[in-house]
Amino acid sequence: MIGIVSYLVFFASIVLILGIIALGLNLQWGYTGLFNAGIVGFYAVGAYAHAILTAAPRPELIGNFGLPWIVGVAGAMAATALAAWAVGWATIRLRGDYLAISTFGIAVSIQLVTLNWEALTGGSQGLSAIPRPLFGWFQTPFGFNLWFFGLLVAITATVYWGLERILRAPWGRVLKAIREDETAAEALGKSPRAFRLQAFVLGSTLMGLAGALYVSFIGFVSPFDFMPILTFQIWAMVIVGGSGNNRGALLGALVVWAIWSASGVAITKLVPPAHAAQGGAVQVILIGLLLLLALLLRPRGLIGEESVVSRHANDPDPLGKS
Amino acid sequence: MMKWTGLAAGLALAAAFTPHQAAAQQPSCPVKIGGVLPLTGSMGPITTKIAQAAQLAVEHINQGGGVKGCPVELILRDDQGQPTVGVDAAKYLVEVERVPAITGTVSSGVTGPIIASVTAPSKVVQISCCSTASAFTLDGRSQGYFFRTLPTSKTQAYATASEMARRGLKKTAIIYVNTDFGVDMTKFVKLALPKLGGDIVAEVPYNDNQPSYRAEVTKALAAKPESLLLVGFPKDAVTIVREWLSLGGSQKIALNNSMRVMDFVNGVGPKFLNESFGMDNAQVAGPTVDAFNKSFQEKYKTDSAGPGVHTQYDAVMVLGLAMNIAKDLSGPAIKDAVRQVHAAGGAQVGTGPEEFKKAVQLIKDGKPIKYFGATGPIEFDANGDVTGPALVWKIQNGEIVTDRVISIEDMQALFKKVEG
Repeated sequence: MIGIVSYLVFFASIVLILGIIALGLNLQWGYTGLFNAGIVGFYAVGAYAHAILTAAPRPELIGNFGLPWIVGVAGAMAATALAAWAVGWATIRLRGDYLAISTFGIAVSIQLVTLNWEALTGGSQGLSAIPRPLFGWFQTPFGFNLWFFGLLVAITATVYWGLERILRAPWGRVLKAIREDETAAEALGKSPRAFRLQAFVLGSTLMGLAGALYVSFIGFVSPFDFMPILTFQIWAMVIVGGSGNNRGALLGALVVWAIWSASGVAITKLVPPAHAAQGGAVQVILIGLLLLLALLLRPRGLIGEESVVSRHANDPDPLGKS
Repeated sequence: MMKWTGLAAGLALAAAFTPHQAAAQQPSCPVKIGGVLPLTGSMGPITTKIAQAAQLAVEHINQGGGVKGCPVELILRDDQGQPTVGVDAAKYLVEVERVPAITGTVSSGVTGPIIASVTAPSKVVQISCCSTASAFTLDGRSQGYFFRTLPTSKTQAYATASEMARRGLKKTAIIYVNTDFGVDMTKFVKLALPKLGGDIVAEVPYNDNQPSYRAEVTKALAAKPESLLLVGFPKDAVTIVREWLSLGGSQKIALNNSMRVMDFVNGVGPKFLNESFGMDNAQVAGPTVDAFNKSFQEKYKTDSAGPGVHTQYDAVMVLGLAMNIAKDLSGPAIKDAVRQVHAAGGAQVGTGPEEFKKAVQLIKDGKPIKYFGATGPIEFDANGDVTGPALVWKIQNGEIVTDRVISIEDMQALFKKVEG
C-alpha cells in the first residue's frame, strides 16, 4: 500500500513539473498563438543553469559552484529568460510554421551544445550528484519525495494563480487580441511585437523553472534528457487538455503522462512474459491510439477555452454602482 | 488548492505512522526481478535480442531451481530511450512491484537518472548490460548498488598503458578525439601509465572531420615526445599520422581499436607503421560462452551476435546467483552477494540450466562458487565494473596481425596494480 502511495507521489511530481512546462506553452500558444517547437531547448537551459550553479565543485569542470537550491532556481529562470529574450528578439517577427522551424533548430542546437561543451556540462557523461533540497533531512526516499511534492504543489499553485491574474488582466486580453487578429490589435495602438516577445520570454522562463525543478528532483542531468520527443509530449498535453485554458494544460499533463505510464503497466500485466520484448511496440501503438481518441472525442481539448471576454460580462451590475 | 495541501498533509501523516519496510523473511513466490530496456525508440532494433537474452536467462534460472525454491519472474518495462519514461518505469517496479533488483538499461542517459533517483536511494541493486559512462561509479555515487557486465573503456586504456610500458615508451604525447570515448580513454591511460613506468608529456584533443590537423600535431610535438598515443577514428587518424610523421614525429605509435582496419594501414602506408601497435577487445572464448550461444540459437532460431546480448544474459544470471547466495531478498543483502558470485577458490559454474542447478546446490551446501558466464569470468571491481581480455595487434608485411593476447586473468592483475 505504502509502495503505491510512494509511486503515486513520484508520478504526481513528474506530472507537476511537466504541468509547469505545459502552462508555459499554453501562455505562448494557447493565448498568444506563438508556435514554439523548441520547448526542450529552454527546458535544457534552465536544467543546466541550475545544475551548474548548485552542483558541488569538481576540478575538471568550470562552474559547479555549490550554491544554495533557491539561488539555482532563480539563476535558472534568469538564464532562460535571457536566452528566450535573445531567441525571441531575433525570431519573434516570424509567423506560425516559420517560428516553429527556427525554434526547433535552436532547441537542437542547444542540445548539441550541452553534448559538446564538456568543460561546462560534463558532455555525454552528464552532471551527477546535483544536490536535492533538504535531502539529508529525510531518512527514506519517500520522505524526500513527499516534501518535494509539497514544494511542487506550492510552486505550481503560485504559477497558476499568477498566470490567471495576468491573463485576466488587460495584458492577457491584448495577447488574445493579437492571437485573433494582429492587425486589429495594432490598429488599437498595441505593439504586437512587444507583447509577443513578453509572452514568449515569460512562457520560456516557466520552462526553465521546470528544468531546474526536474534536475533538483532527479539529481542527474545529461543531454539525453532533452531529446525533441519531450517537445512533442508537451504539445500533446496542451492540445489534449485544451489550449487556451490553464486548468486544461495541467489536466493535459496529468492525462497524457498517465497514458504514457499506465500503458506500460498495462502491457506488463496483459502481455505474457515470453512476449514482453514485443510489448514495447504495442505500448507505443496504445499511446497513439489513446491520444487520437482524445482528440476525436474532444476536439477542443478536455477543458476547452472559456469564451468569456470580460470577467464583468456576466455581472448583474457591471459598473458596480449599487 | 486547499484540497491539494490537505492531501499532502494527509500523506505526510500516513508516512509518519507507517512502520519502516520490514526485512524480508522467506520470500513469497514468484520472486520478481525488474527489467528496464529501450524496447522501442532508436535503440529498439538492437534491444529485441537483448531482451530475449534476459528472458533466456530467467528460463535457465527457473529450470535450474529458481531463487530459494521460488520461480523467478522478469517484469520488463520499456524506457523508450527517454530518461523520464525510464525513471517512471523503474520507480513503479521498485515501489509497486517491490522488486529488490533491476536489470537495465542501454543508454547511459537513462541509466544515470535511474541510479540517482530510484535505485541508489531505495537501496535496490541495478545491473546494466550496456551503459558505459564512467561517471556513474565515481566517488561512490551509486553507493555500491550499480554494477555492469560489459568492460568499460578502462579495459582498453589500461591494456594500452601496460603495453606501452612493456615496450619502453617513456615520453608519450596523446592526441585524442573529443568524445566521451576519447576523453575516458585519455583519462584512464593517464591514470595507469605513471604507475607502470611511463610519462605523458602532452594531451591534445581534436575534433573530427577537419581537412588538416597540423595545429594539433605541432602542439603535441612541441613537448618533444618520444612516442605517440592516438585515440580516434580511422579517417582523421590517417591525416594525423601522416602529418605527425612528416613533421618529424616518432614512428613508435600506439593506436586504439578503431584503427584495426586496412583502410587506415594503407592510408598511412604500411612501411611507416612497422614500429606501431594497437589494442582491441579480444573475443571471449570458452565452453560457457559456446553453451550460451548454442542455447540462444536453439531457442530463438537466430545467432546471438549483437551488442549487449551476452552481457545482458550474464546480468540476469548474476542476479539469480546473488539472490540465492543472499541471506534474504533485500537490496543490501543482494548487493553484497553479487560480489560473491565469483569468489576466490570457488567451484566453477557456467551458463545454462544444468550449471545453475549445480550452483544452487553448492550455495545450499555453503560452498563458494566462481561464475563463468556468456562473456567469460565475471568478477566485479570496487566500482562494480568488470574487465575483459584484450589483444595487441601490429602491422607485419602490410598485414594486421595479432601480437599477443592479454588474458582476463592478466587484466584483472593489471587492474589491481593500477587501482591498488
